[in-house]
Amino acid sequence: MPSRTGSHSPAGFGRSAPERGLLLLTVLVLLEGSVLPLGAASSPDISHHANSDKHQVADVGHNATKKPFPVLAVEYDRVQIPFEISLWVLLASLMKLGFHLIPRLSSIVPESCLLIVVGLLVGGLIKLAGEEVPPVLDSRLFFLCLLPPIILDAGYFLPIRPFMENLGTILMFAVVGTLWNAFFIGGVLYGVAQIQPANPSDLHQLDLLPCLLFGSIISAVDPVAVLAVFEEIHINELLHILVFGESLLNDAVTVVLYHLFEEYAGVGTVTVLDGLLGVISFLVVALGGVLVGAIYGILAAFTSRFTSHTRVIEPLFVFVYSYMAYLSAEIFHLSGIMALIACGAVMRPYVEANISHKSHTTIKYFLKMWSSVSETLIFIFLGVATVDGPHAWNWTFVTVTVILCLVARVIGVVGLTYVINKFRIVKLTTKDQFIIAYGGLRGAIAFSLGFLLNQDHFPMRKMFLTAIITVIFFTVFVQGMTIKPLVELLAVKKKQEAKRSINEEIHTQFLDHLLTGIEDICGHYGHHHWKDKLNRFNKKYVKKCLIAGERSKEPQLIAFYHKMEMKQAIELVESGGGVKLPSAVPSTVSMQNIQPKKPPPVKAAERALPQLPKGREEEIRKILRSNLQRTRQRLRSYNRHTLVADPYEDGFGDLLLKKQKMIELEKKIKEMNNYLTVPAAPPDSPTMCRARLASGRDTDFKPAQRQKGNKNGSDPQAYSVKPTSDRVPTIQVDLASPQSPDSVNLLDEFRRAEQPRGEAGPDQGLMMKPASAQSGPNKSREDDESRDQQQKLMRCLSDPGPSADEDEDEPFLP
Amino acid sequence: MGSSSSDMSHIPDAQELMQETGFSAAHLARLHERFEFLDKDDRGELSPEDFSTVSELAMNPIGDRIIAAFFSPGQQAVDFPSFVRILAHFRPTDANRSRNGRNGAQQEPANSRTNRLKFVFQLYDQDRDGKISREDLLEVLRAMLEMQVEEEQLQSIAERAIQEADLDQDDAISFDEFRKSLEKVNIEHKMSIRFLE
Repeated sequence: MPSRTGSHSPAGFGRSAPERGLLLLTVLVLLEGSVLPLGAASSPDISHHANSDKHQVADVGHNATKKPFPVLAVEYDRVQIPFEISLWVLLASLMKLGFHLIPRLSSIVPESCLLIVVGLLVGGLIKLAGEEVPPVLDSRLFFLCLLPPIILDAGYFLPIRPFMENLGTILMFAVVGTLWNAFFIGGVLYGVAQIQPANPSDLHQLDLLPCLLFGSIISAVDPVAVLAVFEEIHINELLHILVFGESLLNDAVTVVLYHLFEEYAGVGTVTVLDGLLGVISFLVVALGGVLVGAIYGILAAFTSRFTSHTRVIEPLFVFVYSYMAYLSAEIFHLSGIMALIACGAVMRPYVEANISHKSHTTIKYFLKMWSSVSETLIFIFLGVATVDGPHAWNWTFVTVTVILCLVARVIGVVGLTYVINKFRIVKLTTKDQFIIAYGGLRGAIAFSLGFLLNQDHFPMRKMFLTAIITVIFFTVFVQGMTIKPLVELLAVKKKQEAKRSINEEIHTQFLDHLLTGIEDICGHYGHHHWKDKLNRFNKKYVKKCLIAGERSKEPQLIAFYHKMEMKQAIELVESGGGVKLPSAVPSTVSMQNIQPKKPPPVKAAERALPQLPKGREEEIRKILRSNLQRTRQRLRSYNRHTLVADPYEDGFGDLLLKKQKMIELEKKIKEMNNYLTVPAAPPDSPTMCRARLASGRDTDFKPAQRQKGNKNGSDPQAYSVKPTSDRVPTIQVDLASPQSPDSVNLLDEFRRAEQPRGEAGPDQGLMMKPASAQSGPNKSREDDESRDQQQKLMRCLSDPGPSADEDEDEPFLP
Repeated sequence: MGSSSSDMSHIPDAQELMQETGFSAAHLARLHERFEFLDKDDRGELSPEDFSTVSELAMNPIGDRIIAAFFSPGQQAVDFPSFVRILAHFRPTDANRSRNGRNGAQQEPANSRTNRLKFVFQLYDQDRDGKISREDLLEVLRAMLEMQVEEEQLQSIAERAIQEADLDQDDAISFDEFRKSLEKVNIEHKMSIRFLE
């Protein structure tokens, strides 16, 4: 899972000034800590002042004595809440920044610990200033604002395949494991509370039901904490998905248990009927949550089908629909987390097929940003809330709780694994079990749930909160800090480099088909059989509804191939153009290899290329360059609706030059190759140019006017898989979105150039595609082809930033 | 489906088969039942037509290849031992090695990684020349993509795949190259059918 923290610490600065960094950190903390109480302090003053002012003015109005006009006035009241919120967010972000400037610290201590410490400091400062600590970990704020971004980020990028493959295991851990934990901890605590005759503390007051309630609160593994810690240890995919999946799915159990015990704790008894209702409630909560999420997911996918003309708000749909799913589930006390996960997972394949590349990047980055800030804030608030209290420390209770949590977890994991391994093909080893048990971290959800308890119904609330905080601190600090060295020590398998090759993709699909076939022969309706059925259903009905245009028919392999090609083309262009030839670029089979190995049948199709004199090449290059730069200047106007201005603008000239260099080089290779199936990354542009020049036609480029003719009513995003046209996945770099009337479509120019070629016949230029004899009646296809190319272009354009993360089809949880 | 070990008498050479393939008696009995179910005319062996009665295979893009894999080249019928031997490739890997030890250490079990990969390799390599040539790969792609894309795209994908995997530059994928390209894939997990364990 690529780190959300995106460490780009300026190494030189950091290394030379760790003390400076530390100093900076403390200064920041002090600053923030001091402003907040100031803010709190000043507001009553101001409001008082304002009131008295008003009275004065009212009196004054009669007397008409003139006061000097206030040049500078302070009115903090008005902006207090947004101001403080922004201050907190700023603090969180600066902290995150700061930690990476101190290199050694972040490798030893996980970020979550540091953040809690910062929270403690800030809380301490506020308390020292004598002000009241704002109730930051207010349950509403937590559950409605802080938690959803993290869960959505996790759900949207959930690696579906490993999740589904291990679903049985995950469910066992989530449901049975949590139940076991809750009852074990609750029960033993009750027992301990009862057998304390000598202890005059009020432990005796503790009834069974509050104990069970406490047990259910404390037993749930927390997704936020797990994410925060596991993100840094880069453990292998299986373990990650097991622990993380468990932390997500146990939400349903927690919700039901919590409400069940809370409801009846006042009454004091739970009957069998209640238990039964609880079970039914669990099913309703879990499945209902998933259903709600799936419905919203499908709605989002359907909406994204029509967004081809308003690309700018595409990401918004993803976010809003998901958030609505969460809120809707919360209305009915269904599991909001499961709804969010279901929504993200369901909508993702369809939405990604529909939206533009830029929107995709936007979604990814926004999600990461929000979830990162949320996580940081949660941990800081945990620290602040700890300082705030209210605390009621009870040695017995707290220590027993901590010990019980560990013991229960270990017993639960070991016992369950024993049962689970009977049904698994890939068994869980002892090492795996240890990591799963050790990775059972508790976090802010437990605290918020405890916070929600009503003080009147639960007189022991303070004690509970103290114990919860202690457990959280223990798990996050002790387990969080030691898990990394333990992983190293035990030599647990780490996450593999997730780069999928086209071979793997092909073979994996092949194996899927093979296994389905074998299952059918054996008459066994297994895993593959149902997966195959689901895929067929998906392909036949669902994709048609939810994916716009022609992309609904695009097979997965092709989509994967396109993605790979694009990534590589972008990399190629960024890495300095055609100067070096990476051997994996498909169209450039390396020059050395081709020479001696020309297979004989190809020779027949060989054509002699008209060699372009050097001067002409220069001419073309100059023309291209000047033309494109001219157009670039035109594009500087920022148009909100079409997002014309793109991050490439500054480096664009260089980019184009590199691209041209690459084109030239490609050309040279083609001259040597002349074989049948070159999927040319750049189009036949230079060769077409050459062809046109050779045939002596007009080389004048008339950008703007011609462009307009093409634009009417075309869907630039339509993907057309034309059976006979020479459709090769080609990557172009275009200047702007086709909606802008001023933009030049490079391809259109070259396509235009192609037209005369078709008429000129076979003794023209390069026969790269011998099957393309159909290029004659091209005029009607112009629109489609250009649309096609543009669509590919639009998908291709993205800012250079995000290449660090892999977001392939079977991604590891990012 | 309650076959007991008394049914073993129906199955010729049951003991050897069990030792060779690692199937248990219950599994063998189950497979024999299935074999007899498929064997419509009760000849004691299966012909390609018998396989075609499995309706889902018709929808499978590589269904014909799978069927062909059961038959040795030139033969038109497969008997029960051959049937079982092929299916042994899909048996989940044993956690303990002691079973194989009994077999004699020389003979690798059918469900070892190498043998599994060899089986898949043969499915690709229809002309049995020991390599997956571009033509072979194109055939597979054509079958899997079911005419949804046109020829050039297939060519380019095949081209790229061969480029990636072909280390000795002979424009074809040999078995070793094939194995290498799949080193990250968990074959034991992917090629295991649970009920066969």
